[in-house]
This record gives sequence, C-alpha cells and structure tokens, in this order.
Amino acid sequence: MSWHMPTTVDEVLRLKASKPDATVVAGGTFLGLVIRQGLLDSDEWISLQNVDELRAFGTAGDLSAGAMVTHRRIETEPAVRRDWPGVAEAFGVVASPRVRNVATIGGVLADADYASDPPAMLVASRAVAEVASVRGMRRVPIEELIVGHYETELDDDEIITRVLVPRPTGSAAYRKLRTRSREDRPAVSVAAVRETGGVRVVVGAVSDRPRHYPDICAEWRPGDEQSTREVAAAYADRIPCLDDGRGSAEYRRQVVSVEVRRALMQVSR
Amino acid sequence: MTADMRRSPGPSPADPRVVGGLDYSIDHHVPGAWHLRLVRSDVAAGRVVDIDTTGVESDVTIITPADVAAYGTFGCQIADQRVLAAEPKFAGDPVVAVVAPTPEAAREAAASIQLDYDEAHGVFNEFEAATASAPLVHTSHASASGDAAYFAMRPLDGTNVCHRFRIRTPELRGYDEPELIRELPPLDDATMSDAFAGSDIVVEETFRTPAAAHVPMEPHATTAQWVDGRLEVITGTQTPFNLRQDLAALFGLDPADVRVVAPAMGGSFGAKTFMRTEAITAVAAAFTGKPVRCVLDRDEVFSEVTRHASTVWMRMGATREGRFVAKQMVAYVNTGAYADCGPGVAQKLGYAGVGPYRFDHVAVDSYCTYTNLPPAGAFRGYGAMQSAWASERLVDMLAGELHIDPVELRRMNLLRDGDAFCTGEIMHDTHFEELLDDAAKAVAWNDGRDGKGVAIILKGMQTPSRAEVAIHALPDGRFEVRSATADMGQGAPEALTRMAADVLGVPPEHIVVPPPDTDLAPYDTRTTSSRSTHMMSRALAAAADDLRANGTVGHGRIVNDGGLDPDTGTGVASSHWHQGAAAAHVDVDDETGIIDVRSLYATSYAGRVVHRAAAELQNEGSMIMSLGTALFEELTYVDGQLVNPNLSEYNIASALDGATIHHRLLETPGAEVHGLGETAVPPVPPALGNAVASLGYHPCRLPMTPERVLASRVHPRQEAP
Repeated sequence: MSWHMPTTVDEVLRLKASKPDATVVAGGTFLGLVIRQGLLDSDEWISLQNVDELRAFGTAGDLSAGAMVTHRRIETEPAVRRDWPGVAEAFGVVASPRVRNVATIGGVLADADYASDPPAMLVASRAVAEVASVRGMRRVPIEELIVGHYETELDDDEIITRVLVPRPTGSAAYRKLRTRSREDRPAVSVAAVRETGGVRVVVGAVSDRPRHYPDICAEWRPGDEQSTREVAAAYADRIPCLDDGRGSAEYRRQVVSVEVRRALMQVSR
Repeated sequence: MTADMRRSPGPSPADPRVVGGLDYSIDHHVPGAWHLRLVRSDVAAGRVVDIDTTGVESDVTIITPADVAAYGTFGCQIADQRVLAAEPKFAGDPVVAVVAPTPEAAREAAASIQLDYDEAHGVFNEFEAATASAPLVHTSHASASGDAAYFAMRPLDGTNVCHRFRIRTPELRGYDEPELIRELPPLDDATMSDAFAGSDIVVEETFRTPAAAHVPMEPHATTAQWVDGRLEVITGTQTPFNLRQDLAALFGLDPADVRVVAPAMGGSFGAKTFMRTEAITAVAAAFTGKPVRCVLDRDEVFSEVTRHASTVWMRMGATREGRFVAKQMVAYVNTGAYADCGPGVAQKLGYAGVGPYRFDHVAVDSYCTYTNLPPAGAFRGYGAMQSAWASERLVDMLAGELHIDPVELRRMNLLRDGDAFCTGEIMHDTHFEELLDDAAKAVAWNDGRDGKGVAIILKGMQTPSRAEVAIHALPDGRFEVRSATADMGQGAPEALTRMAADVLGVPPEHIVVPPPDTDLAPYDTRTTSSRSTHMMSRALAAAADDLRANGTVGHGRIVNDGGLDPDTGTGVASSHWHQGAAAAHVDVDDETGIIDVRSLYATSYAGRVVHRAAAELQNEGSMIMSLGTALFEELTYVDGQLVNPNLSEYNIASALDGATIHHRLLETPGAEVHGLGETAVPPVPPALGNAVASLGYHPCRLPMTPERVLASRVHPRQEAP
C-alpha cells in the first residue's frame, strides 16, 4: 500500500494520471466509514491534506471554495452567512462540529453520497465544479456532476479543484428532516432558491441523486398556495423514493410533498 | 455525610479519566501477546460442514469446534453455550478462532478461512418462537450451577422457552392452567374472569420493544495467559467473581486458580457482564502457550450481546371510581441464541411491569424465549424499561377511558409504606407520591395537558446479593480499599473513596482504591442493578468497625436475602427499591410525525447522595440513553442478519438531542444510600409516549419513529382542501 502526500495541484494531477485507480482522500470522513465497513480498499492513496492551494477561499464575486475548504469554514464565514445564507445553512447542519471541522466541499461532491446535505443546495444554487486533470480544466454544473449512487461524471484522472457558487439574487431555504438523532443525515432534504423569474427546488436524500425538475418549478406562482401544493405533490409523484433505515419510500413520498410545500412557503416571503 | 463531601465538585482536572491517563482494558498490553480473531457464522442457524483453512499462513494457530469439543457448556443461568459453535445459532456466532503474532496477520488469516454450512430454518421473533411450529433453537435445557443462577429455572421442555416466571396473587392460584400460553387469553378465560369481575372498565394492549445496542465507547478487550498452571485474565467486566467461577468450571480448576483483573471500562451499560470473549481467549492462550489478546471490532460489539426485544401484552381493570382491581401480563422476552441472564431479565421485567401500584389480583407470565438472534443480556434498566413502557402507557389508556386525570389516577393507586406488593413483600421507604408530584410540576401539569405525559416506575435491585470489602491499613498511614466493584465510568472508585473516608474519618486523599482483582479483593456478587454504592456503603461501615477492632485489616460483609418463587412470584423481589418518575412535554408535527421534545424531566429517589456530580451524571446519562430508546434506537434484523452494525446506521442520542433534559435527585437527609445508575431509564419512554398520545396518537411500539407516530394517529387527519 502506498500513501502519497503531494503539495501542489500539478503534482496531484500527475499522480492521478499515472495511477488512475488511486483513491483520493480529502477530509476522510466518508472514506473512513466505508473503509471500516470493508466496502472500499485501495493499494494507492493520494492525500490532498498538504495541497494548500486547494484551501483557497474567496467571496468577492462568486463564492469560490477550493476543494479542501471545510464545511465548518463555509458554515461560519461571515460573508457566506450574509450573502449565501442557504449555503451556510446546508453545510452547517451536517453531522457534528467534529465532522464539519474536517469534511470538505470537494469530498462531499466527489463521494456523491445520496444522503449528504450540501449537494441539494449546491444544485439549487447553480453551483459549478472546476474539474482538473493533466489534460486540462473543465467546468461541470453540480447538477450534472452527480449522476447516481456514489457515482460522478469525473474521469479516472480527474479531481475537483474548486467549487463556484454564484451570488444569489433571491431568498433561499434549506429544510433538513431528520428521523433519528440530531447528528443524523437527512431522511428528506429540500433546497429552494429563488432567482429572477422563478425558483429552483431540489430534493435530496430520497433517491440516488439530488432531484430537480425545472418543468415542475415553472408552474409555481410565488405566494400562491394552490400552485405551491401542486408543485409539492408533483415532486412527490415524480421522484423514485428509496427505503433505508431513515424511512420507507412511502414515508418519504409523503414527507417530500410536505417539505417542498414548506420550503416554497419559506421563499415566498 | 460530612459537609465537605457534599460540596465536592466533579472530577478534578488531574483526574486520569479526564487527561487521558486512565488505563482501560484495551490499554493493557502483555508483552509477547498473540492476537485472536474470530471467524463468525454467516448463517443464523445450521451446521458447519466444512472449514477451509488452506489460505492460512503456517505460523497461525487455528482453533476449530472439534479442537474444543472436550470443553463443556457454559452460561451464567443456563449452560447452553460452547467455546466455538459447530452448529451456529445466530449470524455472528464464533465458529473458528485464529491466533497470530500480529493483529494484522490474525485479521488476514480470519478473512481467508471459508466456511460451508448446512443451513437450517431459524426463528427470530420472541412471540413466534413460543408457537408450536417454531424450530427449536436448543433441544434441551440445562440450568447452570453458578452464583448467577440465583433462582430455580423453569424451562419448558420441547419449546424455545428457557424460563417461565409467573406471578399469581393468592386468589389466582390453584387453577388448571396451560404450561405455556401461546394465545393471548380472552377476558372470559376461567382463571382471569374472577380477577377482573370487580372491574367496571378493562383496557388491554400489546406493546413492543426492539433489540438495542449498549454502544460502550471501548469495545470488549480481553487478555488471557496461563502462569504456572493458573489462568490470569485481564478484561473489562462488571462481573469479576461470576467470571472467575465460570472460567474455573470450564477448565476444571479451583476458582482460586483463576485470577480476574478488571481495569476501568470505557463504558459497559450491561454489555460486559458474565462470560463474553474470555472463554475463547483463555482457550487460545492454552493452545498457543502464549498470552493472547482479543479486542472486538465495532460491528462485532453490536452482536456480542444486546437488549432483549420483547412483546408485552397487558390488561388492566379498574372500578369506575378509578381503583385498580386487577392486572394481567403476558410477556415474551427475546433472549436470542443463548440464555445469558435472560431468565433473570424475564423475572425482573415480570414484576416491574406490575408497577408501583396496589392491585387486588395480579397474574404475570413472563417467557424467556430462545431465537436465532445474537444473545441478549444485561442492559441498563434490565427489563423494567420494556414492561414499564407497556404498564405506564396502559395506565394513561385507562385514565382516558375513566375520564380521570392520569396523575390523579396514579396517585389514587400508588404503593405506600405498609402496602403489600404483588410478591407479598411489604413496601417500606416509598417515595412514589413525592416523585409523581415533582414530575407533574416539572411540566406545569396543571396549566394544560396537551403534549404532556408522566410515568412512574419501580425497579428492583439484585436480590439475593452479597457484598464484601476489605480495608487494609497501609504502613504510610493511608488505607487501601479492596473491592470487586468495577468501574465502568460511573465513578465507582470515587464513590468508594468518599464512603471509606467518611466511615474512617480521614481525608479522601488517604484512601487508595485499586481496580478489582479476584486475587486480592473479597467476594462481591457483581457490579449490576445499581446495587454497588448501596451495598458497599454498608459493607464499608462494617469493615471500618472491624478495622477499629482488629488493627491492620478490616473486613465487611453484607448479605441481602430474598428472591422470588418462580411459579407464584412470592417472596422478596428487592431488598431496596429504585423509584423514579419522568415527565415530558412534546410537540408532534402532524404532517411528518416528528416529535419535538420541548422538555424532558426525570426525578429519581437517591436517598443520601455520596458524590453529587457523579450522581447527576448517572441520572442524565440514563435519560439520554433512554431518549434514544424512545425515539430511534433499534437493531434491525432481516432474516436474522443485522443490517445496521455501525454508528452511522445505528444512531445514539447526541448532545443536541439531550439539550432539553433536566432532572432531580430526590434526597432525604440521613437516609440510606440508594442506587441510581439506571432509575431514570424506564420512565422516559412511557413519559414521552404518553405525551405523544395526549395529542391524538396511540404509540405502542418503540422506538417512536416519525413514521410509526403518523401510523398511530387515532383520528385521521382532515385532508386540506
């Protein structure tokens, strides 16, 4: 087994190109669990821990967070709380401070776990990932990055280097429904972000990836209770919900319609 | 109690537990020790037909069931367990042990061994296990002979019932009754019709509790070695003397040739009682001739021992005015593949389910049934939680039928000093009314009852039981207290230090309390059932008297006699009663079923408090643990396979979940020291359940997940237009 500790992005990309099967470790909170459970093993590991440029952080234009920026930073940074309150909220309700102190924005997107909080809000916020390899850099909307259970669009030689979140033009709500402990992942999560001319509603944690239906969102009339209920019911109908220890598919379907309605009411104001 | 002791704060900053300086069992490394890993059964029932070890390196010792066939069976109350299982009885049953020079080599060897099975049908539910068609988990029942088998076992041959405990108050005896009730009897059943004849209102319901995990932070960790023909075991255990006795029996040794040292445990909650990994570790040490160390992984801890899942069916009758007339209870207690202390749990669950009330007639049948799940054993609350969940929910149902306030209905029927409990014993030192009033006041009961619930319980202490302690005067003027009371985080050494200082009249700095070592400490029953502070306070007083009379060593010995007849429930259930109440105030989201705990309160009778900070932590810890039980903790099995053996899928309560708890220790100056390690466990789930029920739900099954809460709605919600 080898453990690589590169210090620059270039070095990481060269390593990843030469060892496409190597597992990239960011904060380690997700990998730690799946390794302990025997679900993942690897001969080659590339740690991003010493790559300082991946911790770059800016809020001057878009919110710009290097892949190694922690949940805790995004949760607590005053500019994020002021200008991207929905994003700060979604990162701030993950697990416990112990986890948020090490879990990273790049990690939570790359692991593509259906039950994580941030992806739904990042999709709703039109966030984009910068994805790099020795072949160059490309920008992938988060909506297209996560394609299924633990599955992303990343090629074997690529890593996420940075996430950009445009400045919101309207209000945002993040609703997390927990059915077990207060440190649990969501059984249902709803991110709703208002923008000029509409709203983006994204439901997380109930199926293989965050679910966003622009055609349903287009039917919403802000403040109108009837259309709010219809949008909520349409989301519940459309999403193929799954069963797990946090709730049955039937329960999730029922709660999706409740929580989408409540999220839309929150952003109506 | 001196004023100084009362004022003392919690652990000082130099406390080794606080600064990471405490050596837990897992920290004890014996030089040259080899490492043990267990290869566990993938099937819940069947027979191992092939063990393929061809992939194992030559320097690894492999121990198979055939290698240990000469060893007999063991078990604290029923001798039903073998060192390794040729016929595994649960998924996770150890079949093969490997011992290697390094932990990594042991892990690799264990992973390379392939087992082939002849799989059999299993039975998993405690109620189904008691039916005539259920496959038998064990074909015979052999009562154990050790100290932990402290009452006569009543196995029902040809069934999965390894113990039946009954209570029949005098007028209900002498009827011709079936040995095993497999169907819940109708109200006009001959035996019970007389019992309920004087009742104007009768309510009945079935209540369920799932298996749950103790989740000690430190896993089970054992090191065993043979030294000059003696067996020495260093292990986290609450039961050093029971373990010594059982190990001696297994190896045909005199108990004096077995030494058990029990370093501080990083939590136990009942998980580290009786024989766990010690038997196979000691056998492995004998096979290899080396010290052997065994530390379980977290997923293994989840299946080492669990809390008893149970189905409790209960019926209560009362007069129109609210006087309790009769109670009938039939409980099926799921003890898993091996009985462990399940018979004792079935007994304690049986009488605790009667509750702290007067009845004219009581009939209890509590069946401890085998299933093909991991063994269930001691768990904080020890059966009282499962039956209090039923009993206290049913009292509220009765109050609803009678249109009597639930607090008033309880008050009318509470046991008071001089009343007879269903066992015939006369109650003394009762504080139920004060506890009930305190709980009701904590949620402003008289200012509106929506969203509010109360519950009140009694719980017994291990009876009969014996505590001994020795105080040695050291040459430097200090005193060494030798006791087998184990430290599992409850602060036993600190309590012993304070109590010893008090009876000797010296400062606490002059007291030394080493960890339990059966070579040095005198006999003690075990550190369970919240008995140790109570029993040791009295033993220490006797030891101090003896020391003053005899010079350098003082010996104290306290024996509590008692016990119950397993066929009538007559006798002394507990020489000392744990008494507690809880109150809850909740909101329920009627669209999602989420319970928002606005306030949760528990009040426990403490008698005289020895160490305030530790006592408060015990009460709070009990509440937090039971909050998880009430709302979300459940071991989930599919065809006998545990599907959530990790902490991301098995949640325990977090700090935020406990944010709204508050509590009280009800004290009486000059009273006896009362145990309170688990008093607040049983009343919390029914207090929360009753609070939820007050809003139009009927929860009968734990945990009260949002989904179950919604499904239990009594009046269907009006659909919004």
